[in-house]
Amino acid sequence: RAMELPPGHFPAARAAAAALGYLRYLRGGPGRGLHLRELRRARRQDIDDVGHKYYLELELEDVLDKDSTVSCTAEVLYHLGSKSSAPDVQVTVQGELRSTEQADKEFYNRIRSLEKELVAENIPDSHGNVPPELEPIHLLAWVASGYVIWQNSTENTKLHLAQVKHVKQVKRSDEDLQFDFVVLLHEMVSQEVLPWQVTLLWHPQHGARVSQSRAAGAGS
Amino acid sequence: DEVLHVVPETFQQVQHLQLLCSTFMLDLRKPLLPEDIRAGEDLHIRVPAPLEQEVKNSLDQHMISYRVLIPDVQKLVDQSMPRERSSNRQVSGGYVYTKYHPMEEIYQWMTQIQKNNSELVTQHILGKTFEGRTMYYLQISQPSNKPKKIIWMDCGIHAREWISPAFCQWFVKEILQNYNTDPKISRFLQNLDLYVLPVLNIDGYIYSWEKDRLWRKSRSPYENGTCYGTDLNRNFNSSWGSVGVSFNCSSDVFCGSGPESEPETKAVAQFIKSKKSDILCYLTIHSYGQLILTPYGSTTKPPSNNEELMQVAKEAAAALTGKYGTSYRVGSTALILYNNSGSSRDWAHMIGIPLSYTFELRDTGTHGFVLPPDQIQPTCEETM
Repeated sequence: RAMELPPGHFPAARAAAAALGYLRYLRGGPGRGLHLRELRRARRQDIDDVGHKYYLELELEDVLDKDSTVSCTAEVLYHLGSKSSAPDVQVTVQGELRSTEQADKEFYNRIRSLEKELVAENIPDSHGNVPPELEPIHLLAWVASGYVIWQNSTENTKLHLAQVKHVKQVKRSDEDLQFDFVVLLHEMVSQEVLPWQVTLLWHPQHGARVSQSRAAGAGS
Repeated sequence: DEVLHVVPETFQQVQHLQLLCSTFMLDLRKPLLPEDIRAGEDLHIRVPAPLEQEVKNSLDQHMISYRVLIPDVQKLVDQSMPRERSSNRQVSGGYVYTKYHPMEEIYQWMTQIQKNNSELVTQHILGKTFEGRTMYYLQISQPSNKPKKIIWMDCGIHAREWISPAFCQWFVKEILQNYNTDPKISRFLQNLDLYVLPVLNIDGYIYSWEKDRLWRKSRSPYENGTCYGTDLNRNFNSSWGSVGVSFNCSSDVFCGSGPESEPETKAVAQFIKSKKSDILCYLTIHSYGQLILTPYGSTTKPPSNNEELMQVAKEAAAALTGKYGTSYRVGSTALILYNNSGSSRDWAHMIGIPLSYTFELRDTGTHGFVLPPDQIQPTCEETM
């Protein structure tokens, strides 16, 4: 009952973008950024009274380890008629992702030992440059925006992180690192650039979680 | 290039040689002026590589004997002086093509390019932007007495797509640097003229440098100056206003107050219309997505020459991938991206230009519009 879709056409590509957002949120970190190398296969199933379910076969690459790729399957269920609920996404990564334990620990210690809270803006800058010491922050922004992209994707949108407008570290009394981001998301269909405020908590063992997010007023 | 040694025997042959020199604008080494050519006296002419065959045919036809004095001028030049590592020097005086340039520098670059390559390049005015800036295009044309078909390429219709104007500049540089030595390029220029518009949306481009890096549209005001910009790629007269647009100025796909309502659109459309019977191919360069898009955006109904369009595009994509492995997808906008109306590419095809393509350059979303400068060279090389 599932219909084969051309992977190069937009319905599959949009579902893949939603799946990638979810994947980045789930598996990304300061030492790992996942990128979609190729959408190999896509199928769609229309489920009465429920919604549209996409079955995807993805090939992912870790931007810090470009020579190796990892396969992954994803299921993206867009709920019928619901404009405000996020698609359900499930992913299965085949094989192992390169371990980032060492890099994560180093990053964690570096940030914890900062006297002044980290603040940065425009990552990448207008010319596309990211200073190396900000690359882990950049990748955490991918995690944070991955959450927002997953939560706000529909069959009529395709969201990508365009730029990190602003990031501010907030010191906490518990063990998590907290970063308040303003990220600019590019929506391909409307071509709009949408600013979002996202608060991300991260810990080397506990992973990442978004504690709050909301669309920001336009202001640049 | 070659240098030929010729000895004309009759007055008729002298006359013919004088005609040949002026028609092909050949470089006379000896004597220096055509009026000094005499029967019975040595003549040395430098013939550019692409014209070698034609000149020799003409000499043969008139039974003028000649011999090749210098078979390869460039080799002689190279041997006699240390070769510049970067041959950018000849083309445009040290311009750095691997970084992004603000509009002021692009204007200067165009002037410089024309000055340094005046035998091939002329700069022309296309029109003015909303804020009154002059839109220039470069014409790359080898002098010839046969009429030539045209390939048109525009870049920078969307302000934030910086890799696009960077590519137009790179493209011009590559053509001019290599037309003497690359047989493909010299054959190309024998039969085709290239018209390149390095930045179409100049006002928007400047705004993306000075105020908002992710700006897309033009800068014309609407709603009493409370809202700015038309999406120029929704403003052309191709099913204008029908799909994939907004009539609200605050939208990034605002299609303007009517087809060709914007001066930038009008300038391009007017020019292309005036030359349309000679234009073989219309190319418009965007980013990002790694796509070669064919008509149409407003409907999934394929254009009449879809097979040809797809065939050429697939070959282009394969050649592109061959360089660095970058994969490009090929197909119509309506199937690959979304529905849209009023695009320049659709309009060009609808008025009769057979091959009409939108290129969406690197990447696929990792950097998106803010592509780092170290990707300029590989992007341009593979797209070339």
